[in-house]
Amino acid sequence: MMHSEVIDVEDNTPTVKTIYFEWKQEAKPGQFIMAWVPGTGEIPISLSSTDTIKSITVKSYGPASDAITKLKRGSRIFFRGPYGRPFSTVSGPALLIGGGSGMASLRPLITKDTDAIVSARTAAELLFSDRIMGGKLFEVTDDGSAGIRGNPIDALSTIDLEKYKMTYVCGPEIMLKKVFDFLNRSQIRAEFAMERLMKCGIGVCDSCSVDGFQLCRDGSIFSIEELRGMTEFGRTKLTESGKRIYLNY
Amino acid sequence: MNRLNTQISGIRLDNPFILASGILDENGYTMKRVLDEGAAAVVTKSIGISERSGYRTPVVVEIDGRNMINAIGLANPGIDNFGEEMKIARESMKPVIGSVFGSTAEEFAQLSMKMEAYGASAIELNLSCPHVKGFGQEVGSDPDLVESIVGEVKRSVKIPVFAKLSPNISDMLEIAKAAEKADAYVLINTVKAMAIDIYARMPVLSNSFGGLSGPCIKPVGIRYVYEVKRETGKEIIGVGGIRTGEDALEYIMAGASCVEIGTAVHSDGRDIFKKLSLETGNIMKSEKIESIGEIIGAAIRR
Ligand SMILES: Cc1cc2nc3c(=O)[nH]c(=O)nc-3n(C[C@H](O)[C@H](O)[C@H](O)COP(=O)(O)O)c2cc1C
Ligand code: FES
Repeated sequence: MMHSEVIDVEDNTPTVKTIYFEWKQEAKPGQFIMAWVPGTGEIPISLSSTDTIKSITVKSYGPASDAITKLKRGSRIFFRGPYGRPFSTVSGPALLIGGGSGMASLRPLITKDTDAIVSARTAAELLFSDRIMGGKLFEVTDDGSAGIRGNPIDALSTIDLEKYKMTYVCGPEIMLKKVFDFLNRSQIRAEFAMERLMKCGIGVCDSCSVDGFQLCRDGSIFSIEELRGMTEFGRTKLTESGKRIYLNY
Repeated sequence: MNRLNTQISGIRLDNPFILASGILDENGYTMKRVLDEGAAAVVTKSIGISERSGYRTPVVVEIDGRNMINAIGLANPGIDNFGEEMKIARESMKPVIGSVFGSTAEEFAQLSMKMEAYGASAIELNLSCPHVKGFGQEVGSDPDLVESIVGEVKRSVKIPVFAKLSPNISDMLEIAKAAEKADAYVLINTVKAMAIDIYARMPVLSNSFGGLSGPCIKPVGIRYVYEVKRETGKEIIGVGGIRTGEDALEYIMAGASCVEIGTAVHSDGRDIFKKLSLETGNIMKSEKIESIGEIIGAAIRR
């Protein structure tokens, strides 16, 4: 287990915070760490900055993530990693499609050449739309409190996708599936960051597997071609005990 | 015939390499992939009567990239929810061995009958998990209980029954004798261990204690396989720290008929199965060993 000192904490939305810490290790966009809160738990979190100063962007949803959102400047942060296969990088225009806190793992991909569809339930929950620099920004909210009312497809269907060298997608699986179904008809190059329960982070426990691939090792980034062959994507997953449940979309 | 072919209790194996219980074997699709990628058989994760979520994370600690300590806590969906995973795994047409854990002979028998009904090729009795109260090693260190569990399961199913024993007891031979109705022994489970983070001043695993696995436990496994083979003559599946063809042949010469691979899936990826077959085949060729059968227990001195 490694540890470092928190050098800054930033409020992004009413429920999401970004924790900055120094870690010289090389890491790439799309990779994640297992962050440990001693005495509470350990959770996988994507890196939302991948330079010498690293960051994680966290929403409180359970005891460990809650404790992480309460870290202060000067607190110790414990972690191991980086893990996972990163996004592939391209030069030239790219499109980011982020749903909810999914924007966290897309943030390190932002350049002057990236356009973005940032979606959330409400205007207040739109994450990192203020970071889009130079490129076009499409905001989408469920309740219409900002931008387009609806889901990312409502924005996607208005965009000429041919000009992008790559489309990067991260968000809840229901959104990934919708975007996948939409893009599947085209020849667009796209990569998706998937999410599953992760217990070990190192390819042994099987809690994160999709069609026999371990998200923590073979993913969590998969290309649109790889997703095409997957029976479990958008359909089933295993719970903490290993019980198979069906995703009803 | 391929020189890597072997068998255990009449189950034919393309090569001596089986996926060990608890590693990449909770999801049927994963077991199927591991089999398609070169494992001769897989053992499922240990399944009990009722659904359990296991321990809070952290459930693993990595030690220098190759070894680890785990306390997953016997997370499992419960036997009644495991049929679909068995069905998916069995599409590979290779043997799937059902691992079960319980606290009484009746529970073990009930679990084994359900595994048999799901199409398991054999049963592996987990008498050896080192980190859960009331199960595993606690059950597996009581010779009378072990004898009644093995006896009851043998009476209840037709498929072969393997007893997986713990190195964390004072006399493994006594337990091996208590389990002698089993068709084969599986040696060894993890070695009880722990790790402390000095900066957090706390054990890393949420359960504090866990089971050590990986190359560092290989010499312990070799010793148990050797000793139990020499004393009982029974068939043995060797487990513990195998990463290379040399490691596998060492277990086989100590008395194993085939071996299980766990932690090396972490250090080397799922490709480990192809790599092991290749390496083992090459060493056998250069050492002029025609079959696995001819070297089982070859190192044993009486
Ligand atoms: C993450 C993990 C989970 C395990 N779960 C089980 C289990 O459910 N049942 C069991 O009999 N053994 C379990 N084991 C023990 C392994 O099957 C094996 O006996 C041990 O790890 C030694 O082999 P290795 O060094 O090749 O990993 C587990 C081991 C690991 C690393
Ligand atoms: S989290 Fe354990 S295999 Fe990926």
